[in-house]
Amino acid sequence: MWHGGDVTSPARRARLEDVAAEVVEPVRRFLARRTDPATAEDVLAEVLLVCWRRLGEVPDAPLPWAYGVARHCLANAERGARRQQRVAARVATVDPPATRVAGPGDDEPPAVEVVSEALATLPAKDAELLRLWAWEQLTPAEIALVLDLTPNAASIRLHRAREKLREALRKNGLRAGHEGTTGRRKP
Amino acid sequence: MTDDAHDHDDLRALLRSVDPASSLPQADPTRVARLLEDTMTHQPTDESRADGTHHRSRLTWTMAAAAAVLIVGGVFFAVGGDRGDDAPAPSAGEAPSSRAGGAAAPPVDAPLRTVTELTVAAAAANGKCLVPEAAPDVVAKQETVFDGTVQSISGSAVTLLPTRFYHGDPTDLVVVQAPGQEMDALLTAVTFEEGKRYLVAATDGRVTLCGFTAEYSDSLAAVYGQAFG
Repeated sequence: MWHGGDVTSPARRARLEDVAAEVVEPVRRFLARRTDPATAEDVLAEVLLVCWRRLGEVPDAPLPWAYGVARHCLANAERGARRQQRVAARVATVDPPATRVAGPGDDEPPAVEVVSEALATLPAKDAELLRLWAWEQLTPAEIALVLDLTPNAASIRLHRAREKLREALRKNGLRAGHEGTTGRRKP
Repeated sequence: MTDDAHDHDDLRALLRSVDPASSLPQADPTRVARLLEDTMTHQPTDESRADGTHHRSRLTWTMAAAAAVLIVGGVFFAVGGDRGDDAPAPSAGEAPSSRAGGAAAPPVDAPLRTVTELTVAAAAANGKCLVPEAAPDVVAKQETVFDGTVQSISGSAVTLLPTRFYHGDPTDLVVVQAPGQEMDALLTAVTFEEGKRYLVAATDGRVTLCGFTAEYSDSLAAVYGQAFG
Protein backbone atom coordinates (compact mmCIF):
# COMPACT_ATOMS: atom_id res chain seq x y z
CA MET A 1 0.00 0.00 0.00
CA TRP A 2 2.03 2.86 -1.23
CA HIS A 3 -0.54 5.42 -2.02
CA GLY A 4 -1.54 6.37 1.48
CA GLY A 5 -4.84 7.81 0.35
CA ASP A 6 -6.42 7.40 3.75
CA VAL A 7 -4.45 10.22 5.31
CA THR A 8 -7.18 12.77 4.91
CA SER A 9 -7.96 15.27 7.56
CA PRO A 10 -11.60 15.87 8.48
CA ALA A 11 -11.17 19.51 7.49
CA ARG A 12 -10.15 18.55 3.98
CA ARG A 13 -13.10 16.22 3.69
CA ALA A 14 -15.47 18.89 4.92
CA ARG A 15 -14.06 21.38 2.46
CA LEU A 16 -14.51 18.99 -0.45
CA GLU A 17 -18.06 18.32 0.63
CA ASP A 18 -18.75 22.05 0.61
CA VAL A 19 -17.22 22.46 -2.81
CA ALA A 20 -19.10 19.44 -4.13
CA ALA A 21 -22.40 20.75 -2.84
CA GLU A 22 -21.96 23.82 -5.00
CA VAL A 23 -20.38 22.20 -7.97
CA VAL A 24 -21.71 18.70 -8.62
CA GLU A 25 -25.16 19.49 -9.96
CA PRO A 26 -24.17 22.39 -12.22
CA VAL A 27 -21.14 20.57 -13.59
CA ARG A 28 -23.29 17.52 -14.22
CA ARG A 29 -25.61 19.67 -16.29
CA PHE A 30 -22.70 21.36 -18.00
CA LEU A 31 -21.45 17.94 -19.10
CA ALA A 32 -24.86 16.58 -20.03
CA ARG A 33 -25.18 19.48 -22.44
CA ARG A 34 -21.90 18.74 -24.13
CA THR A 35 -21.28 15.03 -24.26
CA ASP A 36 -22.76 11.57 -23.98
CA PRO A 37 -23.90 10.26 -20.56
CA ALA A 38 -21.01 7.81 -20.08
CA THR A 39 -18.36 10.42 -20.79
CA ALA A 40 -20.24 12.91 -18.63
CA GLU A 41 -20.10 10.53 -15.70
CA ASP A 42 -16.38 9.85 -16.14
CA VAL A 43 -15.53 13.50 -16.48
CA LEU A 44 -17.60 14.47 -13.45
CA ALA A 45 -15.56 12.01 -11.38
CA GLU A 46 -12.37 13.50 -12.80
CA VAL A 47 -13.46 17.01 -11.97
CA LEU A 48 -14.09 16.01 -8.37
CA LEU A 49 -10.72 14.35 -8.23
CA VAL A 50 -9.07 17.54 -9.45
CA CYS A 51 -10.97 19.48 -6.78
CA TRP A 52 -9.73 17.02 -4.19
CA ARG A 53 -6.13 17.09 -5.33
CA ARG A 54 -6.02 20.85 -5.73
CA LEU A 55 -8.29 21.75 -2.88
CA GLY A 56 -6.02 24.64 -1.95
CA GLU A 57 -6.53 26.20 -5.36
CA VAL A 58 -10.32 26.03 -5.39
CA PRO A 59 -11.58 29.61 -5.18
CA ASP A 60 -14.30 30.74 -2.79
CA ALA A 61 -16.74 30.90 -5.66
CA PRO A 62 -15.83 27.50 -7.08
CA LEU A 63 -18.29 27.19 -9.92
CA PRO A 64 -16.66 29.07 -12.80
CA TRP A 65 -13.35 27.48 -11.86
CA ALA A 66 -14.99 24.05 -11.82
CA TYR A 67 -16.53 24.68 -15.24
CA GLY A 68 -13.06 25.52 -16.47
CA VAL A 69 -11.70 22.27 -15.05
CA ALA A 70 -14.62 20.35 -16.57
CA ARG A 71 -13.95 21.95 -19.94
CA HIS A 72 -10.33 20.80 -19.87
CA CYS A 73 -11.16 17.31 -18.63
CA LEU A 74 -13.82 16.97 -21.30
CA ALA A 75 -11.41 18.11 -23.99
CA ASN A 76 -8.91 15.52 -22.79
CA ALA A 77 -11.52 12.79 -22.70
CA GLU A 78 -12.62 13.64 -26.20
CA ARG A 79 -9.08 13.77 -27.49
CA GLY A 80 -8.58 10.28 -26.03
CA ALA A 81 -11.83 9.11 -27.56
CA ARG A 82 -10.84 10.49 -30.94
CA ARG A 83 -7.51 8.73 -30.73
CA GLN A 84 -9.17 5.46 -29.90
CA GLN A 85 -11.56 5.87 -32.74
CA ARG A 86 -8.74 6.47 -35.15
CA VAL A 87 -6.86 3.44 -33.92
CA ALA A 88 -9.89 1.23 -34.17
CA ALA A 89 -10.75 2.83 -37.50
CA ARG A 90 -14.28 3.09 -36.30
CA VAL A 91 -16.66 5.28 -38.14
CA ALA A 92 -19.18 5.42 -35.34
CA THR A 93 -19.74 8.96 -34.22
CA VAL A 94 -20.35 9.97 -30.66
CA ASP A 95 -23.99 10.74 -30.22
CA PRO A 96 -24.40 14.42 -29.75
CA PRO A 97 -26.42 15.35 -26.71
CA ALA A 98 -30.06 15.00 -27.58
CA THR A 99 -31.71 18.28 -28.20
CA ARG A 100 -34.67 18.83 -26.04
CA VAL A 101 -37.43 16.35 -26.47
CA ALA A 102 -40.60 18.10 -27.38
CA GLY A 103 -42.77 18.40 -24.33
CA PRO A 104 -46.47 18.95 -23.89
CA GLY A 105 -47.72 22.12 -25.46
CA ASP A 106 -44.77 22.22 -27.78
CA ASP A 107 -46.59 23.26 -30.88
CA GLU A 108 -43.63 25.08 -32.29
CA PRO A 109 -40.92 22.52 -32.94
CA PRO A 110 -39.67 24.55 -35.91
CA ALA A 111 -38.64 27.35 -33.55
CA VAL A 112 -36.56 24.93 -31.53
CA GLU A 113 -34.99 23.57 -34.66
CA VAL A 114 -34.25 26.99 -36.00
CA VAL A 115 -32.51 27.99 -32.78
CA SER A 116 -30.45 24.80 -32.69
CA GLU A 117 -29.50 25.20 -36.31
CA ALA A 118 -28.61 28.83 -35.89
CA LEU A 119 -26.43 27.96 -32.91
CA ALA A 120 -24.76 25.24 -34.95
CA THR A 121 -23.87 27.66 -37.73
CA LEU A 122 -21.90 29.90 -35.39
CA PRO A 123 -18.16 29.43 -34.91
CA ALA A 124 -17.54 26.99 -32.06
CA LYS A 125 -16.15 29.66 -29.75
CA ASP A 126 -19.14 31.93 -30.21
CA ALA A 127 -21.56 29.08 -29.66
CA GLU A 128 -19.76 28.08 -26.46
CA LEU A 129 -19.89 31.65 -25.16
CA LEU A 130 -23.61 31.70 -25.78
CA ARG A 131 -24.13 28.36 -24.11
CA LEU A 132 -22.21 29.48 -21.03
CA TRP A 133 -24.27 32.64 -20.96
CA ALA A 134 -27.70 31.15 -21.58
CA TRP A 135 -27.45 27.61 -20.26
CA GLU A 136 -24.97 27.98 -17.42
CA GLN A 137 -26.24 31.54 -16.90
CA LEU A 138 -22.83 32.98 -16.27
CA THR A 139 -21.93 36.63 -16.29
CA PRO A 140 -19.27 37.79 -18.73
CA ALA A 141 -16.76 37.94 -15.86
CA GLU A 142 -17.52 34.33 -15.00
CA ILE A 143 -17.34 33.29 -18.63
CA ALA A 144 -13.93 34.92 -18.73
CA LEU A 145 -12.78 32.67 -15.91
CA VAL A 146 -14.04 29.54 -17.62
CA LEU A 147 -12.52 30.36 -20.98
CA ASP A 148 -9.29 31.97 -19.79
CA LEU A 149 -10.18 35.35 -21.23
CA THR A 150 -10.07 38.81 -19.78
CA PRO A 151 -13.50 39.97 -18.60
CA ASN A 152 -13.40 42.68 -21.19
CA ALA A 153 -12.71 40.27 -24.02
CA ALA A 154 -15.46 37.97 -22.79
CA SER A 155 -17.90 40.90 -22.75
CA ILE A 156 -17.04 41.97 -26.24
CA ARG A 157 -17.08 38.47 -27.67
CA LEU A 158 -20.38 37.70 -25.99
CA HIS A 159 -21.85 40.84 -27.46
CA ARG A 160 -20.67 39.87 -30.94
CA ALA A 161 -21.79 36.28 -30.53
CA ARG A 162 -25.28 37.48 -29.64
CA GLU A 163 -25.35 39.66 -32.72
CA LYS A 164 -24.24 36.75 -34.87
CA LEU A 165 -26.92 34.54 -33.38
CA ARG A 166 -29.59 37.15 -34.02
CA GLU A 167 -28.38 37.44 -37.56
CA ALA A 168 -28.45 33.67 -38.04
CA LEU A 169 -31.94 33.50 -36.57
CA ARG A 170 -33.10 36.24 -38.86
CA LYS A 171 -31.69 34.42 -41.86
CA ASN A 172 -33.49 31.28 -40.79
CA GLY A 173 -36.72 33.16 -40.55
CA LEU A 174 -37.04 33.40 -36.81
CA ARG A 175 -37.39 36.81 -35.39
CA ALA A 176 -35.61 37.22 -32.08
CA GLY A 177 -36.74 40.75 -31.66
CA HIS A 178 -37.62 42.63 -28.58
CA GLU A 179 -41.22 41.62 -28.40
CA GLY A 180 -40.58 38.46 -26.50
CA THR A 181 -39.64 34.91 -27.15
CA THR A 182 -42.38 34.01 -29.56
CA GLY A 183 -40.77 32.37 -32.50
CA ARG A 184 -42.31 32.87 -35.88
CA ARG A 185 -42.37 30.29 -38.51
CA LYS A 186 -40.87 30.85 -41.86
CA PRO A 187 -43.23 32.73 -44.13
CA MET B 1 -22.13 43.79 -18.63
CA THR B 2 -22.64 47.36 -19.62
CA ASP B 3 -25.46 46.82 -22.06
CA ASP B 4 -28.91 46.39 -20.73
CA ALA B 5 -29.27 42.79 -19.75
CA HIS B 6 -32.99 42.86 -20.42
CA ASP B 7 -32.33 43.58 -24.06
CA HIS B 8 -31.19 40.04 -24.37
CA ASP B 9 -33.72 38.23 -22.24
CA ASP B 10 -35.52 37.10 -25.34
CA LEU B 11 -32.40 35.64 -26.84
CA ARG B 12 -31.46 33.90 -23.64
CA ALA B 13 -34.95 32.45 -23.35
CA LEU B 14 -34.76 31.19 -26.92
CA LEU B 15 -31.46 29.49 -26.23
CA ARG B 16 -32.76 28.01 -23.03
CA SER B 17 -35.61 26.46 -24.97
CA VAL B 18 -33.01 24.26 -26.65
CA ASP B 19 -31.08 23.45 -23.48
CA PRO B 20 -30.47 19.68 -23.61
CA ALA B 21 -30.18 19.54 -19.82
CA SER B 22 -33.52 21.17 -19.15
CA SER B 23 -35.17 17.79 -18.62
CA LEU B 24 -32.22 16.26 -16.76
CA PRO B 25 -33.38 15.06 -13.36
CA GLN B 26 -31.40 15.86 -10.22
CA ALA B 27 -28.58 13.51 -9.44
CA ASP B 28 -29.37 10.68 -7.07
CA PRO B 29 -28.00 11.85 -3.69
CA THR B 30 -26.72 8.40 -2.76
CA ARG B 31 -24.76 8.19 -6.00
CA VAL B 32 -23.29 11.60 -5.37
CA ALA B 33 -22.33 10.55 -1.85
CA ARG B 34 -20.66 7.44 -3.21
CA LEU B 35 -18.86 9.46 -5.84
CA LEU B 36 -17.54 11.79 -3.17
CA GLU B 37 -16.41 8.91 -1.02
CA ASP B 38 -14.63 7.37 -4.00
CA THR B 39 -12.95 10.67 -4.68
CA MET B 40 -11.69 11.08 -1.14
CA THR B 41 -10.41 7.55 -0.82
CA HIS B 42 -9.24 7.34 -4.36
CA GLN B 43 -6.91 4.42 -4.86
CA PRO B 44 -5.37 5.01 -8.21
CA THR B 45 -4.24 1.53 -9.19
CA ASP B 46 -6.94 -1.04 -9.28
CA GLU B 47 -4.74 -3.83 -8.07
CA SER B 48 -3.26 -3.74 -4.64
CA ARG B 49 0.12 -5.31 -4.74
CA ALA B 50 0.19 -5.58 -0.99
CA ASP B 51 -2.50 -8.20 -1.29
CA GLY B 52 -0.14 -10.30 -3.34
CA THR B 53 -2.99 -11.11 -5.65
CA HIS B 54 -1.04 -11.26 -8.85
CA HIS B 55 2.50 -11.99 -9.61
CA ARG B 56 3.91 -10.77 -12.83
CA SER B 57 6.97 -11.97 -14.60
CA ARG B 58 9.91 -9.75 -15.26
CA LEU B 59 9.03 -9.87 -18.93
CA THR B 60 5.63 -8.36 -18.24
CA TRP B 61 7.24 -5.54 -16.37
CA THR B 62 9.76 -4.96 -19.14
CA MET B 63 7.04 -4.94 -21.76
CA ALA B 64 4.96 -2.54 -19.72
CA ALA B 65 7.93 -0.24 -19.26
CA ALA B 66 8.71 -0.36 -22.96
CA ALA B 67 5.10 0.39 -23.79
CA ALA B 68 5.07 3.27 -21.36
CA VAL B 69 8.16 4.75 -22.96
CA LEU B 70 6.64 4.45 -26.40
CA ILE B 71 3.39 5.97 -25.29
CA VAL B 72 5.11 8.84 -23.56
CA GLY B 73 6.97 9.55 -26.76
CA GLY B 74 3.66 9.67 -28.54
CA VAL B 75 2.01 11.78 -25.91
CA PHE B 76 4.77 14.34 -25.96
CA PHE B 77 4.33 14.49 -29.66
CA ALA B 78 0.58 14.77 -29.48
CA VAL B 79 0.43 17.11 -26.54
CA GLY B 80 3.09 19.48 -27.76
CA GLY B 81 0.69 21.50 -29.85
CA ASP B 82 -2.05 22.09 -27.34
CA ARG B 83 -0.29 22.55 -24.06
CA GLY B 84 -1.90 25.92 -23.75
CA ASP B 85 -5.36 24.67 -22.97
CA ASP B 86 -4.38 21.84 -20.72
CA ALA B 87 -3.75 23.19 -17.30
CA PRO B 88 -6.63 25.04 -15.71
CA ALA B 89 -4.40 26.68 -13.17
CA PRO B 90 -1.61 28.88 -14.38
CA SER B 91 1.78 27.38 -13.85
CA ALA B 92 3.54 29.35 -11.23
CA GLY B 93 6.91 28.24 -12.47
CA GLU B 94 8.56 27.83 -9.10
CA ALA B 95 11.71 26.57 -10.65
CA PRO B 96 14.27 29.26 -11.21
CA SER B 97 15.74 27.22 -13.99
CA SER B 98 14.72 27.03 -17.58
CA ARG B 99 12.87 24.13 -19.11
CA ALA B 100 14.80 21.70 -21.15
CA GLY B 101 12.31 20.80 -23.81
CA GLY B 102 10.36 18.51 -21.55
CA ALA B 103 13.23 16.06 -21.34
CA ALA B 104 15.32 15.37 -18.32
CA ALA B 105 17.84 18.05 -17.65
CA PRO B 106 20.95 17.55 -15.67
CA PRO B 107 21.08 19.61 -12.50
CA VAL B 108 21.02 23.18 -13.65
CA ASP B 109 23.88 25.36 -12.52
CA ALA B 110 21.69 28.19 -11.33
CA PRO B 111 23.48 30.51 -8.98
CA LEU B 112 21.18 30.09 -6.02
CA ARG B 113 19.54 26.73 -6.20
CA THR B 114 20.20 23.62 -8.14
CA VAL B 115 17.21 21.87 -9.59
CA THR B 116 16.65 18.39 -10.88
CA GLU B 117 13.96 18.43 -13.52
CA LEU B 118 11.90 15.34 -14.09
CA THR B 119 8.97 14.49 -16.26
CA VAL B 120 6.44 11.76 -15.92
CA ALA B 121 5.31 8.80 -17.94
CA ALA B 122 1.69 9.43 -18.80
CA ALA B 123 0.68 5.84 -19.36
CA ALA B 124 2.39 4.41 -16.33
CA ALA B 125 -0.64 4.91 -14.14
CA ASN B 126 -2.25 2.06 -15.98
CA GLY B 127 0.86 -0.05 -16.25
CA LYS B 128 1.24 -3.26 -14.38
CA CYS B 129 3.27 -2.98 -11.26
CA LEU B 130 5.70 -4.96 -9.23
CA VAL B 131 6.18 -4.48 -5.54
CA PRO B 132 9.50 -2.68 -5.13
CA GLU B 133 10.62 -5.28 -2.61
CA ALA B 134 10.19 -7.96 -5.24
CA ALA B 135 12.02 -6.11 -7.95
CA PRO B 136 15.55 -5.35 -6.83
CA ASP B 137 16.68 -5.11 -10.42
CA VAL B 138 14.16 -2.36 -11.13
CA VAL B 139 15.16 -0.59 -7.95
CA ALA B 140 18.80 -0.78 -8.96
CA LYS B 141 18.01 0.77 -12.34
CA GLN B 142 16.64 3.94 -10.78
CA GLU B 143 18.94 6.83 -11.62
CA THR B 144 17.50 9.31 -9.20
CA VAL B 145 16.06 8.33 -5.85
CA PHE B 146 15.36 10.83 -3.12
CA ASP B 147 13.36 11.51 -0.03
CA GLY B 148 11.63 14.88 -0.12
CA THR B 149 8.67 17.02 0.81
CA VAL B 150 6.25 18.57 -1.65
CA GLN B 151 6.63 22.33 -1.56
CA SER B 152 4.03 23.25 -4.09
CA ILE B 153 1.78 21.85 -6.78
CA SER B 154 0.85 24.08 -9.65
CA GLY B 155 -0.98 23.35 -12.86
CA SER B 156 1.96 21.71 -14.53
CA ALA B 157 4.65 21.18 -11.90
CA VAL B 158 5.19 19.52 -8.56
CA THR B 159 8.12 21.04 -6.69
CA LEU B 160 9.82 18.96 -4.03
CA LEU B 161 12.40 19.86 -1.47
CA PRO B 162 14.69 16.86 -1.17
CA THR B 163 16.12 15.97 2.22
CA ARG B 164 18.12 12.95 1.19
CA PHE B 165 19.36 11.62 -2.11
CA TYR B 166 19.70 7.86 -2.10
CA HIS B 167 21.03 7.97 -5.60
CA GLY B 168 21.78 10.56 -8.27
CA ASP B 169 23.35 14.00 -8.02
CA PRO B 170 21.87 15.91 -5.12
CA THR B 171 20.17 19.22 -5.90
CA ASP B 172 18.37 21.78 -3.79
CA LEU B 173 15.04 21.28 -5.49
CA VAL B 174 13.35 18.77 -7.72
CA VAL B 175 10.68 19.89 -10.13
CA VAL B 176 8.48 17.33 -11.82
CA GLN B 177 7.14 18.98 -14.92
CA ALA B 178 4.10 17.54 -16.58
CA PRO B 179 1.73 19.01 -19.12
CA GLY B 180 -1.90 18.69 -18.07
CA GLN B 181 -2.59 15.16 -19.16
CA GLU B 182 0.55 13.73 -17.70
CA MET B 183 0.07 15.73 -14.54
CA ASP B 184 -3.31 14.11 -14.18
CA ALA B 185 -1.66 10.71 -14.57
CA LEU B 186 0.92 11.62 -11.98
CA LEU B 187 -1.58 12.90 -9.48
CA THR B 188 -3.71 9.86 -10.07
CA ALA B 189 -0.83 7.47 -9.52
CA VAL B 190 0.75 9.19 -6.56
CA THR B 191 -1.30 11.24 -4.18
CA PHE B 192 1.05 14.21 -4.07
CA GLU B 193 -0.09 16.73 -1.54
CA GLU B 194 1.64 19.86 -0.40
CA GLY B 195 3.65 19.42 2.76
CA LYS B 196 3.79 15.64 2.66
CA ARG B 197 6.91 13.54 2.45
CA TYR B 198 7.58 11.24 -0.48
CA LEU B 199 10.10 8.84 -1.85
CA VAL B 200 10.59 9.57 -5.51
CA ALA B 201 12.44 7.43 -8.01
CA ALA B 202 13.19 8.21 -11.63
CA THR B 203 14.99 6.76 -14.61
CA ASP B 204 15.87 8.63 -17.77
CA GLY B 205 14.49 11.75 -16.19
CA ARG B 206 11.04 10.22 -15.78
CA VAL B 207 9.39 9.55 -12.49
CA THR B 208 8.84 5.85 -11.94
CA LEU B 209 5.30 5.29 -10.77
CA CYS B 210 3.82 1.95 -9.77
CA GLY B 211 4.82 2.06 -6.14
CA PHE B 212 8.41 3.09 -6.74
CA THR B 213 7.39 6.67 -6.13
CA ALA B 214 5.10 6.96 -3.17
CA GLU B 215 4.36 8.68 0.05
CA TYR B 216 7.18 8.04 2.51
CA SER B 217 7.05 4.71 4.26
CA ASP B 218 9.67 2.93 6.28
CA SER B 219 9.38 -0.19 4.16
CA LEU B 220 10.02 1.62 0.89
CA ALA B 221 12.79 3.66 2.52
CA ALA B 222 14.35 0.39 3.62
CA VAL B 223 14.27 -0.89 0.05
CA TYR B 224 16.14 2.17 -1.17
CA GLY B 225 18.39 2.25 1.86
CA GLN B 226 19.42 -1.30 1.16
CA ALA B 227 19.90 -0.75 -2.55
CA PHE B 228 21.80 2.52 -2.37
CA GLY B 229 22.79 2.88 1.26
